[in-house]
Amino acid sequence: MNRFAPFEWIAAARFMREGLAQTLLIVLGVALGVGVIVFMSALIAGLQSNIIRRTLNYMAPIEIVPPEQVARPQRGGQPGSVAALVQPRSQQLRSIDQWQKVLAAVERTPGVVAVTPIVAGPGFALRGDANKAVNITGIDTESYLRVIGLADKIVAGRLLLGTSDIVIGIELAKDLGAGVGDKLRLTTAGGAAETLTVAALFDFGNKGVNERNVYIALRTAQNLLDLVGGVSSIEIKVEDPFAAETIAQDIQAQTGLEADSWIKTNAQFFTAMAAQSLSNTLIRFFVGLTAALGIASVLVVSVVQKSKEIGILRAMGASRGQVLRLFLLQGAFMGLVGSLLGCGLGMAFLAAWRGVARNPDGTPIFVIVVEPKLFVMAALGATLVGTLAAVIPARRAARLDPAVAIRG
Amino acid sequence: MAEAAQTLRLEGVRKSYNTGTPLETEVLHGIDLVLARGEFAALIGPSGSGKSTLLNVIGLLDPPNAGRLFIEGREAGKLDDGEMTRLRGRAIGFVFQYHYLLPAFTALENVMMPALAARGRPDDEMRATAAGLLEEVGLARWRDKKTGELSGGQQQRVAVARALAMKPALVLADEPTGNLDTQSADGVFELLRSVNEASGTTFLIVTHDPRLAQRCDRIVELVDGRIVADRPNVAPSRGPRTASWSP
Repeated sequence: MNRFAPFEWIAAARFMREGLAQTLLIVLGVALGVGVIVFMSALIAGLQSNIIRRTLNYMAPIEIVPPEQVARPQRGGQPGSVAALVQPRSQQLRSIDQWQKVLAAVERTPGVVAVTPIVAGPGFALRGDANKAVNITGIDTESYLRVIGLADKIVAGRLLLGTSDIVIGIELAKDLGAGVGDKLRLTTAGGAAETLTVAALFDFGNKGVNERNVYIALRTAQNLLDLVGGVSSIEIKVEDPFAAETIAQDIQAQTGLEADSWIKTNAQFFTAMAAQSLSNTLIRFFVGLTAALGIASVLVVSVVQKSKEIGILRAMGASRGQVLRLFLLQGAFMGLVGSLLGCGLGMAFLAAWRGVARNPDGTPIFVIVVEPKLFVMAALGATLVGTLAAVIPARRAARLDPAVAIRG
Repeated sequence: MAEAAQTLRLEGVRKSYNTGTPLETEVLHGIDLVLARGEFAALIGPSGSGKSTLLNVIGLLDPPNAGRLFIEGREAGKLDDGEMTRLRGRAIGFVFQYHYLLPAFTALENVMMPALAARGRPDDEMRATAAGLLEEVGLARWRDKKTGELSGGQQQRVAVARALAMKPALVLADEPTGNLDTQSADGVFELLRSVNEASGTTFLIVTHDPRLAQRCDRIVELVDGRIVADRPNVAPSRGPRTASWSP
């Protein structure tokens, strides 16, 4: 008998040891449940962060664009007359008004990590007989690299954008038959043209992006797209990609410009992810419920089995509170030990998964990062669930009338 | 009799079961009883006369429906559940017909249990007291055995030691020898008697056995929930019984 342990602990430990088979079975059950939860959570979190990372590779979480131009019908004449049909205006490439001020203001917004001005528009890349439609992106290299990890994606050449340099994707390079150091001609619909030297090739792992995107210096893009001194958009990196929509709304309210978060522009993708998260939550809930019911049923049986002993304890001066805690402790203990074993089990599942889920070249399909927080949460959650599951049996035990319990 | 010398006083205690239903049965019909400090009394009566019910009421395990109950001058009816539990733990020791030890604990731990429940944590004093009591009941050698490994007589001796653990003013024994063979029964009875003589603890012993009752100082007879006889036993018989007797 441990001299430091309170009465309830000692009695709880002895009761559990007495019904060792029951205790072990339920602890094993809880461990399996927690193992599944840990495995599922880590897997889905890994999957989602992987998809998000890949998406945010070539896309800023928030983009500020000038407000859309709207038609302003000149009404007059008959009072009360209404224009029945208003033809929407065609949208021309415009600069954000006073973009330097906007940039500075956005940079101060909480949650924003980096901002960069962009001049983007359509164009054609020509080389010899090849002619490809491209999205021209004029960037300020230094600030752009703080928003988009372009530097990591360069597979050839160096990312140094002078006014006559261009960085293109590997697909476009293939289509044009161009390599680092080769020249190509970039034209726009407006008729402007420039001959540029390929400074580097990038590979974002996305064919569309590798085929379409070309990067040139901001100033060159301003000239080509007839936007001298202006920028067509501002791209923003935020601390928490999932807070992007909230921050975008803040910025929109603050600047009056349109701020689109990647959450809004990838709504379908997000719906899919939300569905995935929901199914994960549901699985967790039902696994947790199963574990709770298991613990509760074991303890209910234990209260019935031990009612005589509970009566004796009460006759010998144990209070209702002591009896209540005696059973709550058993529930908490089963939850805690089960969850600790379950964390180990979850790790084992993940290790097994890592062994199986590999690309043909042996690299993992995606990286699963297991956060310690997950284990802490699982252990806390299971202990709480165990304690809660024990409430009904414990109350029943505490309410036992000692005289009746002893009579049996 | 001065109140201070009374360990127990019952005034018009009534107990019914299934109260408020058509099946309501009154088991105790107005019991008046006083036990002075140091008394060694037998409670006898036929089966179903209400002996065990009366013992449960006195032991604060079952509240009476009417009447007043004083333990060491404190009126039990005026206590809340927590105070009642404390009073029960401190002032009353139980010895049941079946030993009712906790099988998950050793003999020593069983004897420590009332003090442990009262004080919350085990300590050396508790351990020493319990070891001393086990020695008194002749079980020093078996103190670290689980109770399941002991014989019936030994288990009942452990139960007696446990009943004495808090130095209670009153020990209630419900057929303490009912499950034992003659020899063990004698041993346990003698043990109770010697504790009574050595410490002045008041005993109330429910028994079926007239021979056992004859060895007590006072015999209270209960029939159909009423005390029909209450007489001092002027010359209690002494020494181990020789006649064979089975419950």
